[in-house]
Amino acid sequence: MSNSTHWSRRDFLKTASAATLSALAAGYPRRASAAELEKLEASADTVIVLWMGGGMASTETFDPKRYTPFTKGMAPDAFLSTFPSIPTAVDGIRFSEGLEKTAAVMDRGTLIRSYTAGDLGLILHSRHQFMWHTGYAPPQTVAAPHIGAVMARTLGPLNPAVPAFINIGQRFDNGEGEELKAFTTAGFLGSEHGPFNIPFPDQAANTVRPPGGMTPGRFEDRNKFYKKLLAASPVGEHGSDYQKESLLRSLDNAHRLLSSPAAKAFDLALEPLESVRKYVPGYQPGQKFEAARDAAGSKYENQMVGRFGLGCLLARRLTEVGARYIEVTTEYIPFLNWDTHENGHARLISMKKQIDGPIAQLVLDLEARGLLDRTLIVLASEFSRDAMIEGKPDKRVTDQVHVPEKVESEKHYGMHRHFTDAGSVLLFGGGVKKGHVHGITADERPCKTIKDRVVIEDLHASIYQAMGISPKLAYEIEKRPFYVTRDGIGKPVMDLFG
Amino acid sequence: MKSFAPALSLMLAACLHAAAALSPAQIQQLPPPGSRPIDFQKEIKPILEDRCINCHGHGRAKGDFRMDSRQTLLKGGTTGPAVVEGESAQSYLIELVAGVDPDKVMPKKGTKLTRQQVGLLRAWIDQGAHWDESVSFARAEPLNLKPRRPALPKTGEKTANPIDQLLAPYYPAHHVKPGKPVDDRLFARRVYLDIVGLLPPTDELESFMASPDKDKRAQLVRRLLEDNVNYALNWLSFWNDLLRNDYQGTGYIDGGRKAISQWLYSALETNKPYDQFVAELVHPTPASEGFTKGIVWRGVVNASQKPHMQAAQNISQVFMGINLKCASCHDSFINDWTLADAYGMAGLYADGPLEMVLCDKPTGKTAPTKFIYQQLGDVQASTNKEVRLESLARLITRREDGRLTRTLVNRLWQKFYGRGLVEPVDDMEKPAWSADLLDWLAEDLADHGYDVKRLIEVMLTSNAYQLPAVAATEQTDPKFVFRGPEVRRLSAEQFRDAIGSVTGAWYPNPVPTLHQADGHTNHFASVRSVLVAADQLQIALGRPNREQIVTVRLPAATTLQALELTNGSELADLIRRGAEAALSRKPHSSDELITTAYRKAISRPPTSKELHLARRIIGDPTRLAGVEDLLWTLAMLPEFQLVY
Repeated sequence: MSNSTHWSRRDFLKTASAATLSALAAGYPRRASAAELEKLEASADTVIVLWMGGGMASTETFDPKRYTPFTKGMAPDAFLSTFPSIPTAVDGIRFSEGLEKTAAVMDRGTLIRSYTAGDLGLILHSRHQFMWHTGYAPPQTVAAPHIGAVMARTLGPLNPAVPAFINIGQRFDNGEGEELKAFTTAGFLGSEHGPFNIPFPDQAANTVRPPGGMTPGRFEDRNKFYKKLLAASPVGEHGSDYQKESLLRSLDNAHRLLSSPAAKAFDLALEPLESVRKYVPGYQPGQKFEAARDAAGSKYENQMVGRFGLGCLLARRLTEVGARYIEVTTEYIPFLNWDTHENGHARLISMKKQIDGPIAQLVLDLEARGLLDRTLIVLASEFSRDAMIEGKPDKRVTDQVHVPEKVESEKHYGMHRHFTDAGSVLLFGGGVKKGHVHGITADERPCKTIKDRVVIEDLHASIYQAMGISPKLAYEIEKRPFYVTRDGIGKPVMDLFG
Repeated sequence: MKSFAPALSLMLAACLHAAAALSPAQIQQLPPPGSRPIDFQKEIKPILEDRCINCHGHGRAKGDFRMDSRQTLLKGGTTGPAVVEGESAQSYLIELVAGVDPDKVMPKKGTKLTRQQVGLLRAWIDQGAHWDESVSFARAEPLNLKPRRPALPKTGEKTANPIDQLLAPYYPAHHVKPGKPVDDRLFARRVYLDIVGLLPPTDELESFMASPDKDKRAQLVRRLLEDNVNYALNWLSFWNDLLRNDYQGTGYIDGGRKAISQWLYSALETNKPYDQFVAELVHPTPASEGFTKGIVWRGVVNASQKPHMQAAQNISQVFMGINLKCASCHDSFINDWTLADAYGMAGLYADGPLEMVLCDKPTGKTAPTKFIYQQLGDVQASTNKEVRLESLARLITRREDGRLTRTLVNRLWQKFYGRGLVEPVDDMEKPAWSADLLDWLAEDLADHGYDVKRLIEVMLTSNAYQLPAVAATEQTDPKFVFRGPEVRRLSAEQFRDAIGSVTGAWYPNPVPTLHQADGHTNHFASVRSVLVAADQLQIALGRPNREQIVTVRLPAATTLQALELTNGSELADLIRRGAEAALSRKPHSSDELITTAYRKAISRPPTSKELHLARRIIGDPTRLAGVEDLLWTLAMLPEFQLVY
């Protein structure tokens, strides 16, 4: 562990074994058939998923095709990409215009162009996101755990003072919020392994600070007082029991987290301004990222540029103190951000502004700190988009977006339908090859995967492989094994690794 | 779950080819039978058990072939007789296990038989295939199904609670010396929380403790059971979990789900007899149909999650305590239920018999609709779904169904005692640690008109319930011995309501509109947690999102919960409101304030040491921040969060 110097390893072991013990006593799911699994050598200690929620068109980002500029009255199928392509640091790999900074660090990464989403019938983003994050198509008969929760359950926290599964940037009070909650959970693994949600990265410090208005001094006093009152409480006469120990240990853990030096990592105000501005150009301290959700066209995305950057900065700071699994999302809100049902071209200009600088900076910062080698960055989306095809060319599903016979306005210029036959996943660090492409897609519509298809089970198996977890690992629920990749069938794509 | 579609097609292929006699050359190749006498019990039974029964016993009949008994073995399956007495070389069974045709080897899955084992089978057949009649591989008579009424042991005490009578021989048999009943304070806390889900109000607690009446505990239990509104609000959470009812959640987005809150509230408020309660869920009215309607997701869903299959799974789990989930994809590996069982049950809720889908691959075979426990009877065959469901409801709730009552008895026991009579509570084919207790209480429930409140009264007035709390043991420990109720945690809703009782801070408005028995609508003394959608605090404390049925909430405290309690804005806000209210009550001394807080929160005055410590924190003169910190600290004490 290269980033293990900030805490005591002994503490970590103590916490982990205590958690395991409590899990057994409480009837939490056990590992099933652990003995049969081969030991895997981990190439990463931390995973950062950069989530492009809403369906990121690969032909407009990391897999550009023939560019056709907008002309009034053009045929709707006349364009494959609405941006010209640009070179990257690697010969032969081109990105879409607007991703220049990420292109400059492509020599540190591996690009999968052949990720293929599942067939779930009529497209519903939250169902595909459920499948991406749990590896299982919803609904399931038991509550399936999020991949972050599997990491938390299997590997535990890297630093006991940092929650093992941190989820940055998603609110749950929008149209499909309930559907998002259905997979943003530890499910049957138990809430101990659930997400530590930070919906607003700029307010992350509040999540680990004493409650509003409480000074650190008072917070410490309150805790001391609690310990004294606890010692004075006659409940001691009931002796030691599992419930009491579980309660006291959880409060201790919380207090340790809130008062540990690692908690400072949550506070973006402690980051030098010039360094914040590398993630968010022109950032002003205290700057808020707010926009009315009904903001028309590209207005919403434009006003939110910077929020994802702060999330990436937070992810870097948390990685430095020993986070295990972090997800940073551009945020999924129906019909906003990557969910472009219209105005695709214009809105992607903003979306690329949101992500380009932060991705590159995250890679460079981790590299400069010597952490990139043991941190796997995974940029992904639930599926891609296309101007014409909804679903897959040979498995089309009900169209959700009207495509006019002639494109008379820029409103109809872009990738507005949901395409599931190819998509891009960009990986950095954590043992993946540098400057490598895996998978090929067709150059003409349908721009589907034609070589080295990667499905979710195999993508997950690859991520688990990097973290030293077997795709056949299973937890027992209702007496049956629930595998971390569906039915244990995931196979790591070894071509991704150096 | 594993998919076995390839195995299925192989099996079908095997069935199509009839057995052909082996040539002399092939017979030569068979392992020799040997001539020493074979012991069925010792030598043959283990082979059958290990290699054959998974597919040809316990109700399974791959290729229509059962090895339940000697008769079914001889009879064989679709390919004709399996065994010819005295003629092992002519027995198709031997041909298959010996692997004469490499494409048709039995067993299909797992290790093949050794030559020595085949030789043993041959010798056994040659010697007449004797089968010990006591051995049967048929599906066993399910446990805990038919009603049984054990006699109550005589204890000498006329007024003894039946639970205590039944446990009287249990204790000495298990070397348990039951402790003394807990004091009035702990007893009151238990029953208030268990019946109405609230902390005992200070004045009520004091008059209860002061009462010299010998019968006061039983009276308190009865009085709390008569608080119909708060009883309903407490048990609404329990049933919302079981029936996955909520005010928001997946499915509501586009009408793919229907709440049953009004029906459920009324059923609890009026203590609807349990048989009727279940009948109205199984054969629903528009007000109760949300349960069997299930959750309809948009797009394509796994065949095992179609609404009619959800209904089959949920009815079986909630009311019968059995798991059909595995069997809704393939014959279960963890119990005896088969795909045909699950589809037979699901067909009752579909428009008619369903084509079975094996791990998402259609089989082309239709499962006749049928009830899962044929021992209890079957559902009236009809093309009319209404007729079928009415018949199903009658079947599940008839007096001869001892599973319905046992499952409820067990769930309540688990709630009150921390651990079920049968564990896990959704596996009612497991034996109870006291079959007499389970069976007697179940019969008693049916005998008394399925009156759930009466059952609760029996349970909570027993001495067993009043024993000192013991530490929780591992859920499925086979060596479990009952010594008293386990220490339990407040549920999310109980915790939030307890904070409400201490601070006076409740929720502003109920989410559902609930019409009440007395003609009022949403007439509640306070808006309790169950009446609103889950907020951050409730979620952190374990209120589930109800996409799946939840029958037991995870009992452990977690770090994320503790974080929410330590710095979450919701609890901090409630505590502040409580502190402001406490300070606004005048006149007061700081000692009075502290004592009141202690009495409300943990049902007792502070000790002198505690009083001394608390004075220091709230300050002199009292400070708002100090009172807040005192209230928060009280709420974090095990005495507050745990039920002892």
